[in-house]
Amino acid sequence: MMAEGAAHTALHHALRGPRPIRTRLVLTVAGFGALAVATCVLAPLVGSSSINLRRALDSSIPFAANVDAQILFIARLPRVLAGALVGAALASSGVVFQALLRNPLATPFTLGVSAGASLGAMLVIILGGTIAVGPWSPVPLASLAGAGLAAAIVYALANGPRRVMSTTVLLLAGVTLNAFFSALIVFVQYLADFASVYRATRWLMGDLDVGGFAPILAALPLVAVAALIFMRLPAALNLMGVDPDSASSRGVDVVRAQRWAFFSASLATSAAVALAGPIGFIGIVVPHLVRLLVGVDHRIVLPASALFGASFLVLCDLLARTLLAPVEIPVGVVTAIIGGPFFLWLLVRDA
Amino acid sequence: MRGLLGVVLALLIALGSGCRNAAPPTPAKAQRIVSLVPAVTEMLFAIGAGPQVIGVSSFDHFPPEVERLPKVGALIDPDTERILSLRPDLVVVYGSQTDTEARFKKAGIQTFNYRHDVTDAIRGTFDTITALGAATNHDAQARAVVEQMTTGLDRIRMRVAGLPRPRTMLVIGRQPGTLQGIYVAGGSGFLDEMLETAGGQNVFEDFKKEAAQPSSETLLRRAPDVLLELRSPQPAGDYPAGDLGVWNTLASIPAVRDHRVHVIVGDFVVVPGPRIAEGVEAIARTLHPDAFK
Amino acid sequence: MASSSSTYLVAHEVSYAYPRRGRSGTAHAVDGVSLAVPRGSFTGLLGPNGCGKTTLLKLMAGVLRPESGTVTLEGRVLADMPRRTAARHLAVVPQDTHPAFDYTSLEIVLMGRHPHLRPTQLEGPGDLAIAYESLEATGTLHLATRPFTSLSGGERQRVVIASALAQQPDILLLDEPTASLDLGYQLEVASLLRRLSRDRNVTMVMATHDLNLAASMCDALALLRGGRLLRHGPTSEVLTTGTVRELYDVEADVHFHQAAGHLTVTPVRRVG
Repeated sequence: MMAEGAAHTALHHALRGPRPIRTRLVLTVAGFGALAVATCVLAPLVGSSSINLRRALDSSIPFAANVDAQILFIARLPRVLAGALVGAALASSGVVFQALLRNPLATPFTLGVSAGASLGAMLVIILGGTIAVGPWSPVPLASLAGAGLAAAIVYALANGPRRVMSTTVLLLAGVTLNAFFSALIVFVQYLADFASVYRATRWLMGDLDVGGFAPILAALPLVAVAALIFMRLPAALNLMGVDPDSASSRGVDVVRAQRWAFFSASLATSAAVALAGPIGFIGIVVPHLVRLLVGVDHRIVLPASALFGASFLVLCDLLARTLLAPVEIPVGVVTAIIGGPFFLWLLVRDA
Repeated sequence: MRGLLGVVLALLIALGSGCRNAAPPTPAKAQRIVSLVPAVTEMLFAIGAGPQVIGVSSFDHFPPEVERLPKVGALIDPDTERILSLRPDLVVVYGSQTDTEARFKKAGIQTFNYRHDVTDAIRGTFDTITALGAATNHDAQARAVVEQMTTGLDRIRMRVAGLPRPRTMLVIGRQPGTLQGIYVAGGSGFLDEMLETAGGQNVFEDFKKEAAQPSSETLLRRAPDVLLELRSPQPAGDYPAGDLGVWNTLASIPAVRDHRVHVIVGDFVVVPGPRIAEGVEAIARTLHPDAFK
Repeated sequence: MASSSSTYLVAHEVSYAYPRRGRSGTAHAVDGVSLAVPRGSFTGLLGPNGCGKTTLLKLMAGVLRPESGTVTLEGRVLADMPRRTAARHLAVVPQDTHPAFDYTSLEIVLMGRHPHLRPTQLEGPGDLAIAYESLEATGTLHLATRPFTSLSGGERQRVVIASALAQQPDILLLDEPTASLDLGYQLEVASLLRRLSRDRNVTMVMATHDLNLAASMCDALALLRGGRLLRHGPTSEVLTTGTVRELYDVEADVHFHQAAGHLTVTPVRRVG
């Protein structure tokens, strides 16, 4: 009898309570997905100059002579796609790092991956380097190597045999690495000649104008691998986000989940930074905005952040290249101007 | 007794000449010169003050003699201690190095303030050479150098006069192997003036800055007829073979379409010094090859 | 040794030392403890701070793997069981829960369904019903959509217990479930646990330092000191003036309290 009564109450509540997760997930992915698609389709149509869309799509004009087509397909489209890829990668790895560090204020750059990437890029820009591997040109390749090195160091420091990764050690290692690599970056720039310093500074501001599809295709497999791992993490992240010990007693291999989370988020961040330089604030602003809209369940927040991150960065880049046309604002500046005050507001609100 | 007399006489003469001549003894003083500015180093050697140069910047490479001289830093890292240890009587500093300059003034060392002109840059170069001539007591040679440069530039102007001026883009920086991080010469500064003198028309003439960072879209819109990449020889080997091929992505640019993408390597194209005429000639030859046959 | 049907969760000579960086030869938190928990019982793990009761609880829950010895569940070695399988039988209620994110009570309770779902499966209506029912059993149904962090201490503990109930476990392991609660909430949670133990036939193992709480709820007690098991048996036999003195170096009066209906311990003075 008690069971019947309970079932009644449960049904009653089910009708009045929050929508079941399956529905919410579908609605959220559909909604943010539509936004992402719309952004990526419309953004190439807008730019610092106006193009004749009909001319651009006119296949009777030879491509090499069709300036409108060149602008649309070579100058703008790769840029939008790079923005979508980098935005999705940074936003989703932001979510994962926040879960790993059990801190909503963590960013993809907290653990030093970006500093390592920047140092790698600096060294090649300033000392010169011609090693290229496949579609990876020297600077992105060195950036990737630097990021990998930083991640490896943090991993080695925070990992112990059969031990759960201590978030304290992770944070300390990351902060230390950030400071150390940043100091090295300044030092290397100090020794360089003016032209190299210009180029280095420019790289540090972030640049989605990657000049073609090749760099995007180079970064894509890495982000795809990270995404595949991301798909298996959310339930574990939820459980660990409540209590790591309870998570363990509910069937989560916490050590393994942490390692996979660290690896995949570092991989996505490394690829994004290698492709377009360090673009800040995506990894913190997007997850927070998404949480405000859809709640904190990682099974929804993670895919939603990836999709919204794509739209967000594409829109920021749109502003960057049109606001003061023909002068271009570096996209990292736009994300900072939007993200900085937002971040401060978050801190004040949570205090 | 004799020694003491000699000292007293020397003192009297020194005091005496001091009393008689109230004018600043500047021209006679500049015997030990340290230069933090590569362009000025070149100028000093050109006007015959080379033997008086005892220290140069870390980025000095011309003329070859400077390789044997002590290096004392540059714009952001001048080694004040090292400079002082060389006991100079004239130090050439950048206009923005106000702190460094103050330090030398305090030590009683004369400074020559190099101002980098953005408007009328070539004339500015002449003025600097003339001023250096006065400061180092090589006025006559300075005048000669300026005349030589003027004549050289005029000669080039005559050759290209009346010829159609191709819309040119001067690329002064680019990340090797990619189209990222492109810097071009804007509508002011010595590079722009060199281009104009060489008979070219800067497609970024409306950018009233020395340098600009255009996006791919802007490059496609500006559609220059000639693309000129200027590179300094250091660091060497930065650009792999076939590197210019990256421009083929922007195939609709006339310069790319018509195979008018060129590279000029050399310090003389990026240093606003006495070799400007050489630089202008190199650019002019590239823009108007027929005029120089 | 009783038959396997009555001894349900058994620790055989388990030992564990927390790994310390760069230091070797640390004392064991749990040293050679053997403990058999019969089905349907309510066992208390008692002892002073640092006696190893929390560590023993984690070992018996499978959260920690013993260095030596084994923990078995119905005769099967816990460490060899897949985590999900073990989680369908064992649930843990930690002392404090501080979520890093703003989950609602319902979301937290639903997480208890995790061991019953396939890796990427989402909860369905059945799981939702179990969650609501668990909330109701702990009297927290009205808090379902409230953020967990906005609840009082007592409410939080009850939601966490509901979350453990949603796992539909056979055994519930609780680590100091009332330690951070006010007196009123302590009694509330205590009576809730007693009721759940009786009505749902859930075996309970509770680590606590509160002697009176243990006396009011547990039918068996295991006394620990310095990582070693001192005594284990029915409460009435184990909880005596002598054992209290042994465990806490305290002279105490232990007697059956008519009104409370269970043994009570009143400390008098320190000795030794």
